Amino acid sequence: MPLIEVKNVMKHFPVQKGFLDTLFTRQKEFVKAVDGISFEIEEGEVFGLAGESGSGKTTMGRLIVRLIDPTAGQILFAGQDIAKIRGKQLRLLKRRLQFTFQDPYSSLNPRLTIGNAIADALRLQGIGNKSEQKQRTKKILERVGLSPASSFYDRLPHQLSGGQRQRVVFGRAIILEPEFVVTDEPVAMVDVSVRAQILELMKDLQDEYSLTYLFISHDLATARHICDRIGIMYLGKIVEIADKDQIYTDSLHPYTVSLMAAIPVPDPKAKKGEKLPKGEIPSPINPPSGCNFHPRCPKTFERCAEEEPALREVKKEHWVACHLYD
Amino acid sequence: MGKSITISGVFIYLRLVQEPFRDRSKLWWIVLGVILGGTIALVASLIILAARSSSGLGIPVVVGTILFGVSMLVVGLFRTLLIRQGTFSPRIGTLFLVGITCLLGVITIPVSIFILPAGWFDLWTVFVMGGVAIGIILLFLYSRYSWLKERGSPGLLTITGFLMVLAIIYMTVISYWIVPYDPADINVGPILWPPHPGFPLGTTSLGQDLLSRTIAGGGIMLQVAFLSVLICFFVGVPLGLLSSFRGGTLDRVLSLIMDAIFAFPGLILAIAIAAMLGPGVINMALAIAVVYIPSYFRVLRSQVLTIKELPYVEAAKALGARDRDTMLGYVLPNALPSIIVVMSINFADAVLTAAGLTFVGLGLPIDVADWGWDLTFGWHQLITGAWWVITFPGIMIVLLALGFTLVGEGLNEILTPMLKE
Amino acid sequence: MPNLLEIHNLSVEYKTRLGIARAVDNVSITLDENKTLGLAGESGCGKSTLGRAIIRLVPYPGRILEGEILLNLDEDVPYENGVVEKGQINLLQLDDDQMRALRGKKLAYIFQDPMTSLNPMERIGKHFVEIIKAHEPDTPKEDAQVRTKDLLEALDILPERVLDYPHQFSGGMRQRVMIGLGLTLTPQLLIADEPTTSLDVIVEAQILNLISDLKDKFNLTMMLITHNLGVLAETADSIAIMYTGRIMEIAPTEALFESPQHPYTQALLQSVPDVRKPDRKLSWIPGSPPSLTEPIPGCMFRPRCPHAMEICEMEPPPLIKSASGGIVACYLYEGS
Repeated sequence: MPLIEVKNVMKHFPVQKGFLDTLFTRQKEFVKAVDGISFEIEEGEVFGLAGESGSGKTTMGRLIVRLIDPTAGQILFAGQDIAKIRGKQLRLLKRRLQFTFQDPYSSLNPRLTIGNAIADALRLQGIGNKSEQKQRTKKILERVGLSPASSFYDRLPHQLSGGQRQRVVFGRAIILEPEFVVTDEPVAMVDVSVRAQILELMKDLQDEYSLTYLFISHDLATARHICDRIGIMYLGKIVEIADKDQIYTDSLHPYTVSLMAAIPVPDPKAKKGEKLPKGEIPSPINPPSGCNFHPRCPKTFERCAEEEPALREVKKEHWVACHLYD
Repeated sequence: MGKSITISGVFIYLRLVQEPFRDRSKLWWIVLGVILGGTIALVASLIILAARSSSGLGIPVVVGTILFGVSMLVVGLFRTLLIRQGTFSPRIGTLFLVGITCLLGVITIPVSIFILPAGWFDLWTVFVMGGVAIGIILLFLYSRYSWLKERGSPGLLTITGFLMVLAIIYMTVISYWIVPYDPADINVGPILWPPHPGFPLGTTSLGQDLLSRTIAGGGIMLQVAFLSVLICFFVGVPLGLLSSFRGGTLDRVLSLIMDAIFAFPGLILAIAIAAMLGPGVINMALAIAVVYIPSYFRVLRSQVLTIKELPYVEAAKALGARDRDTMLGYVLPNALPSIIVVMSINFADAVLTAAGLTFVGLGLPIDVADWGWDLTFGWHQLITGAWWVITFPGIMIVLLALGFTLVGEGLNEILTPMLKE
Repeated sequence: MPNLLEIHNLSVEYKTRLGIARAVDNVSITLDENKTLGLAGESGCGKSTLGRAIIRLVPYPGRILEGEILLNLDEDVPYENGVVEKGQINLLQLDDDQMRALRGKKLAYIFQDPMTSLNPMERIGKHFVEIIKAHEPDTPKEDAQVRTKDLLEALDILPERVLDYPHQFSGGMRQRVMIGLGLTLTPQLLIADEPTTSLDVIVEAQILNLISDLKDKFNLTMMLITHNLGVLAETADSIAIMYTGRIMEIAPTEALFESPQHPYTQALLQSVPDVRKPDRKLSWIPGSPPSLTEPIPGCMFRPRCPHAMEICEMEPPPLIKSASGGIVACYLYEGS
């Protein structure tokens, strides 16, 4: 049984309108951030969710750990639907599902020492007394490489480098010993020369704590490096899912193809000249009819504008939502 | 004594002038130095002039508080030394300082009983409060150089304002013991005499000694200021917090009410409320508080609305924090610094409004010694050429308000780059 | 052909609460005409400050300490009180009016964040017309508008959008507008500070294509500031690597990637993932750069360098010719 099963989840954010607009217009507009997504994550894997801005990947991550509530659909965690849990049950759930934020600068309370920031996880969950919390925090500090723990415990976030702060963020996420961690762009705001260190830390923590990761990123080079499988999102829908090799060497969806071709490569001799799709990502308030990508797709045909393609497994462990493969 | 503090103050300024942090003109530094030096010199000379007081305890009180303050300074030096050596961590060092100060306070009890068996408690209160005020002044002048250096000129503004306020507070605290005449007593001297030996600041039209009134007149004003700030804080902050956190109708209604109050010109509203409530310190404080609560409310609300959306608050939620946890533990501590700026401006404004209320005749019974009353009477006397009645109390009001304002300005400047960082 | 831009021994410092930070320390670079120089480095290395120093827009509390920035001006440029004469001029010696005359006309700068760099109260067309009018006040309005429409076409923006406001454009479109604004008066030098960092991958590729088309069309000389080495591999002719305010290495692009000389460059290249090779081991550089307010003697990279030697602690290494055809600041190559 997969650890996480997402079934037809939707999240529509109502568009804030001015006072007069609410008076005179009847229609409510929605930002369809996540518009009917289904996929599964197996225990122990690193599943990547990649896409550009507006694709809904961050929203999806937040939905799985219930930082926000889905508008519709089911989210199964170890077989149990958690889409509608509330109150105390939700709080307990947070011990098993954790989320790390992208920006190490603003995801730490500037007034809390990093020791207290990590210990707070235990305090907010009512685990242990003060000295136990301190002990466990010190162990975690050592574990994430912030050694000696006693000296780092009392430091404030602004006294640490970006890479160190990101370690604190991870420390805070794993001190509750969760089973599943969603990491939102964990290295995007960390210097290039330090990124691999954080990724290595993530891998070590995964081995030690038997974690399953959902790795959200727009940086496919990093995603291919660390993920086992990658799902590509476009405008609130998943367009393709495959393992990390197939998604690049055998991209099926035209969007995936252009995405892979557009990634800058640190090699001046690399071949360029793939045709790029025209225009930009349309607004998620008014997505195009039929297939979301059809206005920009170089291989579009009549059916694409009328009918939305379903996500199908066209090869072993390779799913794509495109009429080209129906 | 006044001279040595002034000299060392100027000395510190001169050192800092050599490496200006913001590109302030030299004139700015000089003006600031003059303001601070002037205030302290003025306060000191008033105290010296007055120390030969009617109760005979003037000099012992001044000496006693200075001794207290100096002892605090010595302990403070000791503490710095021990921290540098590593024997104490800063936290323990501060506890040490506070502990010894309390010890000093306890030691002063038998001393006060010895000096004045009948009213020893009042005397003891003066020793402690006055001594702590002097002690803080001395400790700042010595130990805060590094803090100043780091903060640059905004720190200097804050310290200047703080010292000015403390000097005036000190003078007010010991005023009972050092005034040559009871400030409210009429006909202790000839009517409306200009400054001359015997009455260094002159007399009022009721024959009251202006020196005594100048020294003692700040008490009511300070009480009103502190009280109104307290009321504002404990009403404005919770309301602002609740309103911005809950949002919705409650937020809209409260904001509307606060904006309505805010739209009123402050002094007029205060006068109206004071007229309704009648005279008295608490009523004056309430009148001023009502005028100021909207500021606290708005500032806190806008801070909370911003901070509430920041990732670290959401991160706390991801760990299982309830609304209550995030509100008190994460949002409020980060929103409070901006409130501190509002508080100091509030102090300044409260002082001026209190003077204004008394000037208009509201707020206090006529026989209480208060700078506001001297303004009222002195205003009428100006035509007859008696310039001194309004001038000296007027200067003290200005210096007190200025002190608070400088603290607020300096804090504002300090906090803004901090937020950017 | 003389160099378009020559920077000699430029230093810029910032006064902060914690001390004085040398954001740019004794930097010397030359830009060849019609070439793109990539300025690469991680956060805090001084590359943005260097770019801003060239157009003399270093924000307070920074100030340019010393050095020369020599621009080879290709024509006389009039300003309020006279004319900045053609030929080699030192930008640091010009006064504010003269610099203002050059900015936009001969030196163009593209800021990183297209979201906030445009005036939200003005239509896009007006932005262009304003620039034209500011530097060529005698241009009739119709001419300015025609030039605007031509420019928008070159940028792949529909000409009718000239009436739209900035908020009606997406991030990628806004960046195109920014580039267009920079090129309106056909400057000699275009400095782009992280032009595609805030954009999505596909849009980034579109913009990079656009930049390389425009470069040929307008005979541009460009300085591209970014931390993304992949972008530079595609667009730069030569790359300069900066670290803690100093130049570590400058080399032609291919040479830099094939045989990086400086240990920092080597380590940096090994920590950049390549989407085509996910199984290649990524490495990292342990430690972190020294604080700019507390510089260490000698080479700033020494504490993290696998080849550190005694001499590295004494004096900062001078820039010397490297085997890959550029220059490098490292004692490993002294005497070779």
